[in-house]
Amino acid sequence: MNFVTGYCRLNEDFCAVNGEVISRRDVDSEDSWFKQIYKEQEFVYPKFYKMDLLSQAGFLGAELIKRANLRVAGSYPDDEIAMIFANSSSSTDTDMRFLRSYEGNSSPSPSLFVYTLPNIVLGEIAILNKWYGENMFAILPNFEPGFYINYLNITKSGGSKAALCGWLEILEGKVDVFLFFVEENEETGTPLNAENLASLFNHKPSIN
Amino acid sequence: MSYIGAEVIISPLGDTAEENWNALAQNRSGISFVEGAGYTGEGMYLAKMLALNTTRRFKNLLIQALTKVSELIDSQIITSTRTIVIISSTKGALDTDIKDQFAGPAAALSRHFKLANQPITVSNACISGVLAINTAGKLVEAGIYEHAIVIGCDVISDFVVNGFQSLFAVSDKPCAPFDNARNGITLGEGCGAVVLSTSKDIFKETPFQLLAGASANDANHISGPSRTGEGLFRSVIKTLTSNKIDTAEIDFICAHGTATIYNDEMESIAFDRLSMSNIPLSSLKGYFGHTLGAAGLIETATSIQMMRNSELVKSLGYSEKGTSKPLNIITVNEKRRLSAVLKTASGFGGGNASLLIRSI
Amino acid sequence: MDTLKEDLKKQIIEQLNLEDITPADISDDNLLFNEEGLNLDSIDALELIVLLEKYHGIQVTNPDEGKVAFRSINSMAEYIRKRKS
Repeated sequence: MNFVTGYCRLNEDFCAVNGEVISRRDVDSEDSWFKQIYKEQEFVYPKFYKMDLLSQAGFLGAELIKRANLRVAGSYPDDEIAMIFANSSSSTDTDMRFLRSYEGNSSPSPSLFVYTLPNIVLGEIAILNKWYGENMFAILPNFEPGFYINYLNITKSGGSKAALCGWLEILEGKVDVFLFFVEENEETGTPLNAENLASLFNHKPSIN
Repeated sequence: MSYIGAEVIISPLGDTAEENWNALAQNRSGISFVEGAGYTGEGMYLAKMLALNTTRRFKNLLIQALTKVSELIDSQIITSTRTIVIISSTKGALDTDIKDQFAGPAAALSRHFKLANQPITVSNACISGVLAINTAGKLVEAGIYEHAIVIGCDVISDFVVNGFQSLFAVSDKPCAPFDNARNGITLGEGCGAVVLSTSKDIFKETPFQLLAGASANDANHISGPSRTGEGLFRSVIKTLTSNKIDTAEIDFICAHGTATIYNDEMESIAFDRLSMSNIPLSSLKGYFGHTLGAAGLIETATSIQMMRNSELVKSLGYSEKGTSKPLNIITVNEKRRLSAVLKTASGFGGGNASLLIRSI
Repeated sequence: MDTLKEDLKKQIIEQLNLEDITPADISDDNLLFNEEGLNLDSIDALELIVLLEKYHGIQVTNPDEGKVAFRSINSMAEYIRKRKS
């Protein structure tokens, strides 16, 4: 039996971990929204600035879940945490930026091009954590609990003991990100089923 | 275990697996010099389907591939509620509409064939194809679906050409995988498909067994291959052990072999660590170019054709050892019965994946 | 002060999104690709080639040439002056 033992919800206005808002966007800030969170939470990973928005969102979500649940990083061998991510618009946001880099007479930007694949965020999280486990990035029309449940089912049979799952939809200022960690730990978890996943995804934390 | 067959290949070498096989058996390449294709208007080598319509190529190729698949199996399977279609692609219909790379074409495919289940798209850079086949096989094994149809497709666009040129990763000659003089990839386009099923009776021609494998991340760099081949090594070890297959049983390795200096070197290190240096090995990129999200499908389908025809075709473009660790690269076509084949893939994002095909 | 070198530092920070670094943090003889320097990687090296074209009108067709030229701010400035003379 699988349980969701930690989750992070991030949209245009707030960032919440395990249902509690930890950061709210300051619209007057000179910093981008993701950079605001990075600074507030005192992360130190200079590579963050080089990442595209998809990777920045994945970095923040994964790190915040790890902080709230120390077992995520500590209790599994380096290849037993799978990553199962999906979204609906692939890397389109970065694709458009790369396209603009070579409009007119300018040269295409290699550092933008390497982010024009949705699964790069999986690589960034794997590099940071030294995770050698299974990876999947799928494109689906909408957030679909059934996809994660089915895929968790088949990665478990392949030897993965836990999984970081994610829905990372970022396009032209729209942010709809949900990361959740799944393991077989009953004590701290919410049972993994379609209903619970949908309700965690749709839950709007109260803004005080 | 699941059954795999009904392989389809659409490439510059032909529209069916047989046409492609005939070209390969004659060591004909789909790569040609295309005038004006480069970023500054220079000509470059591409494996381009020159006759292909310029609009909606991605969607049209998906429909063409599924039409061909339906001729190779019990056609009722296509619309069954127990069937899932999995699409493998990196950039989908980007050249038609950058903001609708996947959803529109997938929905069009679904409407055209009246599919019962919404297709899933796997977009995991160059391992997409192998990952999609493994996913399909495991969904069928787990009983979540009875049948899965996997279609891999990518088309050449200015976007992708400019990108690889900005990385200085494009070869100035047709690509030469594993060769000493290799200096980059040749981009290709095309489409490949296979069908996975719990039943061998749905196939019009005898199917093979898919022993689905595992993926593993290098945890090293988002665009540079690992110097130790760690992810590829781990992926193959897991694939072998989970299927209880011994290295000695493998007759042929259909490697990734992009023909960049670092990728091919990485593969040689991984295969050396796996004690697989003596197993006949080839890269098919010299025939098809690098077809990105389609590569895993086209190359797995070709491996099945090699098994059907009991023939290994030579690794086109190779003439002189060019990796620090030895590999048994196939230099002449050879008739040989093939019982078990290993297919591998590695790509951006640090991904690696592998699978095994075995004859019944 | 050598304005070319100061400009280069600003351009590098801009082009490579080194948001946590200021021009004052980069000394002229820092090894750019060294851990004690800016710790740049292979993609950054390719981005520096774009920088040379964008700001200085210099085309580099062989990335290996960049490897030598991009050792430090000093070597980059020297390379630009040589190519422009």
